[in-house]
Amino acid sequence: MMQRLLRDCCNFNAVLRLALVLCICLSALGAKAKSSSSSGLVNTNVIRTVDLQGLPFAREQVGVVVQNEHSSKVYKTYTVSVPLDKALWLSQLSVHERKSGEELQVTKVPVTEGSLQQLFQVTLRSGGLQPGEKLSLNIDALFVGGLAEPRPKAAKQYDDQVWHWEDHALALSVYPTRKQKTVVKTRGDILRFTKTAGDATMDGRKKVVFGPYTGQEEEEGRRVEVSFRDNAEQVEAMTHRREYFVSHWADDLNVLEHYAIRNSGPEIEGGFNKVEQMLSKHYKRRDNLVKTLLVKVPADARNMYFVDEIGNVSTSDVSKRRRQPSANGGDELFKVLQLQPRYPLAGGWNYTWWHGYSVPLHRYLKVSTATDSTQQQNRHLLRLPFIGSLAATASLENELTLAMANAQNTAVRAYELRVTLPEGAHDIDVQLPATISGEKNLELRPTKYYFDSIGRTVVVITHENIAPELAARHILVSYSYAPSALWMKPLVVAGALFALFMMASIVSRLQYGLAATPETTNKLSAAAKKQGLKKE
Amino acid sequence: MVNKVLGLTAADQASLLRIAILGLISLVAIGSRLYSVIRFESVIHEFDPWFNYRTTRYLVDHGFDKFWNWFDETAWYPLGRVVGGTLYPGIMVTSATIYNALHLINIPVDIRNVCVFLAPAFSALTAIATYHLGKEVKNATAGLLAAAFIGVAPGYISRSVAGSYDNEGIAIFLLVFTFFLWLRSVRLGSALYGALTAISYFYMVSAWGGYVFIINLIPLHVFALLAMGRFSNRLYVAYSTFYVIGTLASMQIPFVGFQPTFTSEHMAALGTFGLIQLVAFASFARTLVPENHFRTLLRGAVVSLFVVGLSGLVLLTMSGVIAPWTGRFYSLWDTGYAKIHIPIIASVSEHQPTAWPNFFFDLNMLIWLLPAGIYFSFSELSDNHVFLILYSIFAAYFASVMVRLILTLTPIVCVLAGVAMAHVFETYLNLRDVPAAAQLKAKATPDVVAATDAVKSLVDAVSDDTAIEDTDSASGHKKDGKRGKGAKKNAAKAVEPTSADGAATSSTQPSVPTSKELSPALKRFYALFPKFVVMTCFMFLLCMFQWHCSWITSTAYSSPSVVLSSRGPDGSHLIIDDFREAYYWLRKNTKPEAKVLSWWDYGYQLAGMADRTTLVDNNTWNNTHIATVGKIMASDEDTAYELARHHDVDYVLVVFGAMLGYSGDDINKFLWMVRIAQGVYPDDVKEEEFYNSQGQYAISDDASPAMKNSLMHKLSYYRFADVMGGQGFDRVRKQKLPTSVTLDNFEEAYTTENWMVRIYKVKDLDNLGRSHHAASKF
Repeated sequence: MMQRLLRDCCNFNAVLRLALVLCICLSALGAKAKSSSSSGLVNTNVIRTVDLQGLPFAREQVGVVVQNEHSSKVYKTYTVSVPLDKALWLSQLSVHERKSGEELQVTKVPVTEGSLQQLFQVTLRSGGLQPGEKLSLNIDALFVGGLAEPRPKAAKQYDDQVWHWEDHALALSVYPTRKQKTVVKTRGDILRFTKTAGDATMDGRKKVVFGPYTGQEEEEGRRVEVSFRDNAEQVEAMTHRREYFVSHWADDLNVLEHYAIRNSGPEIEGGFNKVEQMLSKHYKRRDNLVKTLLVKVPADARNMYFVDEIGNVSTSDVSKRRRQPSANGGDELFKVLQLQPRYPLAGGWNYTWWHGYSVPLHRYLKVSTATDSTQQQNRHLLRLPFIGSLAATASLENELTLAMANAQNTAVRAYELRVTLPEGAHDIDVQLPATISGEKNLELRPTKYYFDSIGRTVVVITHENIAPELAARHILVSYSYAPSALWMKPLVVAGALFALFMMASIVSRLQYGLAATPETTNKLSAAAKKQGLKKE
Repeated sequence: MVNKVLGLTAADQASLLRIAILGLISLVAIGSRLYSVIRFESVIHEFDPWFNYRTTRYLVDHGFDKFWNWFDETAWYPLGRVVGGTLYPGIMVTSATIYNALHLINIPVDIRNVCVFLAPAFSALTAIATYHLGKEVKNATAGLLAAAFIGVAPGYISRSVAGSYDNEGIAIFLLVFTFFLWLRSVRLGSALYGALTAISYFYMVSAWGGYVFIINLIPLHVFALLAMGRFSNRLYVAYSTFYVIGTLASMQIPFVGFQPTFTSEHMAALGTFGLIQLVAFASFARTLVPENHFRTLLRGAVVSLFVVGLSGLVLLTMSGVIAPWTGRFYSLWDTGYAKIHIPIIASVSEHQPTAWPNFFFDLNMLIWLLPAGIYFSFSELSDNHVFLILYSIFAAYFASVMVRLILTLTPIVCVLAGVAMAHVFETYLNLRDVPAAAQLKAKATPDVVAATDAVKSLVDAVSDDTAIEDTDSASGHKKDGKRGKGAKKNAAKAVEPTSADGAATSSTQPSVPTSKELSPALKRFYALFPKFVVMTCFMFLLCMFQWHCSWITSTAYSSPSVVLSSRGPDGSHLIIDDFREAYYWLRKNTKPEAKVLSWWDYGYQLAGMADRTTLVDNNTWNNTHIATVGKIMASDEDTAYELARHHDVDYVLVVFGAMLGYSGDDINKFLWMVRIAQGVYPDDVKEEEFYNSQGQYAISDDASPAMKNSLMHKLSYYRFADVMGGQGFDRVRKQKLPTSVTLDNFEEAYTTENWMVRIYKVKDLDNLGRSHHAASKF
């Protein structure tokens, strides 16, 4: 599992750029050894901002000023280190040069045996870092969880959720660091934080600053903690699979979404209490149970359904058409599916289900009519959202607001996208969103579906740790599809039926008995007819 | 050709019509079984179907070999269950075959949908088989009527609605089809049909325990024919082929195994097989002995052999060589037997004796057409009719002692009602030649007599018909056509026009004979009026029948029982889905190896929907284990806790209806649990302790101490009074709620929306070694 996750992180190569320490890893020894071995580069100042305002998504922004103190060596790369336990949750890592704002290239380094760090190599700008030169870098890492956890682990159904962030006081780096501080921002009020050294100060009620730290030696291995209240729902989708089925016949694009989710909030202390739940409902008092899952679907979605492993779930609703400005300009028209799981999700409870709907295909499909010889004719271009959205809410209100549907509170750990193309589509070309590096996790898989004769192709893309940014991206699938391919299926079915009747006709004319009687012939023909009718 | 339509001769038209009608009947049969899918969804119903569904899934996922050797350690914990050897695999294999065939031609259906729609699909086949049976015993009209009846008869629909994925769903088709093949093989004396009967019987054996009905009824038929002195080579060939192949084949099913050689249920067939060999020998001997001596000799020998055989059987049974009848069979003879000796059988509602209104409810007008059908059978009394009479009498008896056996009665009722109705139609729908009939009767008589030589007798209606056909030139042509087909095996068949034939003829022909007669309008009116009245009445009854069937199907038999529905105060349709809510909660939020204790009713559903290990389930093979569960439920909290921990129980599930007024809940079943537990643990559990001082079964504060302390009571009412306030009321028992219910050893884990299912976690032992009571006080 870990290897899979790491391999996946490698796939961010295209996006990832420069390097620095994000956290001090558990082994201070390792860090020390590293710092002495690479004496040339020095972090003169590090400001680490841990942004916990959007839990379950957490952001670590590290601003670092790096100086080349080596007498002669020119450094072309900078190394960023992420502890392995956090790397499991890493969605994206990007590095920008602060001054120019230019994004630098990041390459994932394979984890060496026994190491507890995941290293990323950032290629500096042309010429590298000359001796004595200084450079400011912004390292931006996005995690889909794992940074904060509920503590106490169990609370009453209606208690406030208290979350706990804990990390090393010093950011982990392979280079020596002169001066650094850590800023932690939270969504709710901070209840407690580590104040031993007196160097931690609270800035307002939702921000704590640790540091500045200078003398590395005595700070090493020290951990700092922040406890804060955060009642927002947090859901982890352990697996999520989105499937598209393209049907040219029906001008229909079928969307199917599988989810297996878990409420990451605190568990219930002393077991579930039905009476409390009913009283909360009656008095409209908040509790921690996730009751509704909201899914935005296109306004022209139809034939919606909501099913889990043991059948239909009857408690669901769909909102009227809503409108809001979309990210890429213009208005977005959509409806909101309000799915109520069979049971409310308390902390630690799981739920698995799938839902689906149909949309008109022509809104997503373009057919190129280019006639020049180089361009293939009948080229079809599908432009599909890479991933949908899911928002969980614990609201007791009957009217759910748009803000609830827009809430980004579901972190997807393992994602799979499947696009099932129509039978006869060939020369398939897939263009992934820029944030996903291709090839390795893209697969074309043959499959057979209803009444297929030669089968069709499924484009399968897998991805791990999906952050909300990807939700707005699109995947482009282009393929060739001859108009005649549309007629293949009816012809095959008609041919099969014809063959069946032919066979019945032949069989009915055969005589089995030793002495042929007209009776048997008649009976058989009647039987054959009946068989034919039944088959139809 | 005058009567050619679409280039088809009258005979072809008739057969086309028959096929079309049968097709429509099939459609109606399937369609009327889909209420539950339309009202609810494509879901497996009730209890046993969940087991069948689960095993079918297993078969599809793991292949036949694994299925055959499947040891299910998640059932009957810690005993486990040898699934492959303790089930009738017919229905699973059928579904898996259909599933694989569909996937082979690239139709990737879900196995659940195959299972849900299997019973309706087979009901269409049943209708077709019934048509053939009806045609075999009378004619196509009777066959079509019988098919139409069985297509919608609630007695059969009750077990074959979409989602009712139970053995009976395919077994009734096999029952009817086996009987059809049997009758045909007896009529033709064909070894081929005898073998087909055996194969069909084998399929039936693989599908349902009710095969015992076939293996007793067919020998009985043979025996009756022998006793009537109707031995023939045809009978000998048919029965010998059937019995040998059928028995050998049936022994291939592991669950049946060698039973055909040593259990009482199968002895009649074996005895009859021996008897018919003797009779065959005797009839061979007959060629060597003078005729008049022989008859007396034979009859005497048959009777004495029967007596000797029977007493031998009784002796062997008593000495234990032949296994005695099982409890379920005893309860077929003595309806009070089970209640005294095997409470677990008596506790199942479908094993109760049938209430009389049930017959009318399930069969409507067919139930009074049955005697008419029996009467007509007696009046003809061919070998086939003997069978019909025997079948109807025995099935009627069994149906009256056990509710669920109305199912086996339904096919014969439909066939006999079809026969009776066909007679009515033939008599009263013959409008062509009302006045002519009387005149021509004399002329017709010789023909009739000729015809009746082959069959024992013919009713007047048919002879009327025959007369007209023989004199009418156009009909004569039609008859030639039939003769051309060579469709006659005997005279009876030749003179029976199907109603479709009749209709086709009358519609394409001007009524020549009537115009010849030139009778006054009044005479015509007198002749036609009674027919008109009778037919109107019958058409009305038929319409009422169809209406009744649809109504019964829709209101009584289309509820999945897994999902309930009710009407809100404003008339809106409310779905109550608490069972699946609870099962899905267990499925997703408990560890996969968790053991769930519940009353056995919910065992199959727990295994199927929650996918968790259960202690007891609907298989009910181990009475002691069930009694242990009953004892846990009936014990006080500490004893129950100890027992539950002893059995590795992680969760306890109870069904509780007081919130909604759902009367099928565990508190109402509780007395059965107590009785079953008492049967095994008479010292620990006593039924009388659960009645209060007034001798009532109370649950509120005036309940008996044993009741109030019992685990079932506590788990049901724990915290319930809190939500109902001080004036709480149990909507099922119509009693006040108990005011203080404490629970220390168990912890509420989940309670569904309407409180219908409550799940409790068995607490771990206290860290400090205290009792949970002490810990909670602390």
